[in-house]
Amino acid sequence: MLSEKDFFELTTQPIDTCEVARRFVPNDCGATVTLDGYVRQFTKDKETLYLEYEAYQPMALKEMEKLIAQAHEQFEISLVGIVHRLGKLEIGETSVVISVAAPHRRAAFEACEWLIKELKRTVPIWKKEVYAGGEVWVEGENQTARLNNS
Amino acid sequence: MKVQVLFFGATAEAIGKREIEFSLVDNVNADEAFAAILKSFPSLQQNFQDSLLFAVNQEYLGGDKIIKNGDELAVFTAVSGG
Repeated sequence: MLSEKDFFELTTQPIDTCEVARRFVPNDCGATVTLDGYVRQFTKDKETLYLEYEAYQPMALKEMEKLIAQAHEQFEISLVGIVHRLGKLEIGETSVVISVAAPHRRAAFEACEWLIKELKRTVPIWKKEVYAGGEVWVEGENQTARLNNS
Repeated sequence: MKVQVLFFGATAEAIGKREIEFSLVDNVNADEAFAAILKSFPSLQQNFQDSLLFAVNQEYLGGDKIIKNGDELAVFTAVSGG
């Protein structure tokens, strides 16, 4: 079950990480753990110029909603917010924010880590990496999403 | 019957289309439907053999689920958001 204030969004606009983190500060909580994922310039020796994200939007929102419901079942948390950006992103720009509020920090840290791991595995969003010598659609490492979700 | 098939990212680029209408015989299941689609677009299997994922009506597919006229199918590679 989702809580009343959980939120999950896709946007082409820059994400205000602090706004997402502080949008709701539940009065039964003592900590919010927020992941600010952003575009990395150097992956070892390879230089990225920019990224382009694309999503199967209605399905991505459904999968995000499922993840939040599962997180509520597995962790003692009160609220989850997920915002993922789409379109062209420059180096250092925020691509995803996941914010988890909980009565105590430990559950929030654990849920946040679990949520980003699952998001990267199941939510239908793809990134194209553009670098000096060309471009490539990045393929996720984990290819078992459909097995565990069917 | 006819279904809509959506492609994203690498699969859309490989076939040069994001959306097609596709004809199927009645009472095929999801596995059979996707096999028929891949047969029509050999470049998908050549390029992405092991990483293709399939969805029916915005859910990851169940193999023996029967496809209905007008269903929304999707073919894409392992996701890479975050």
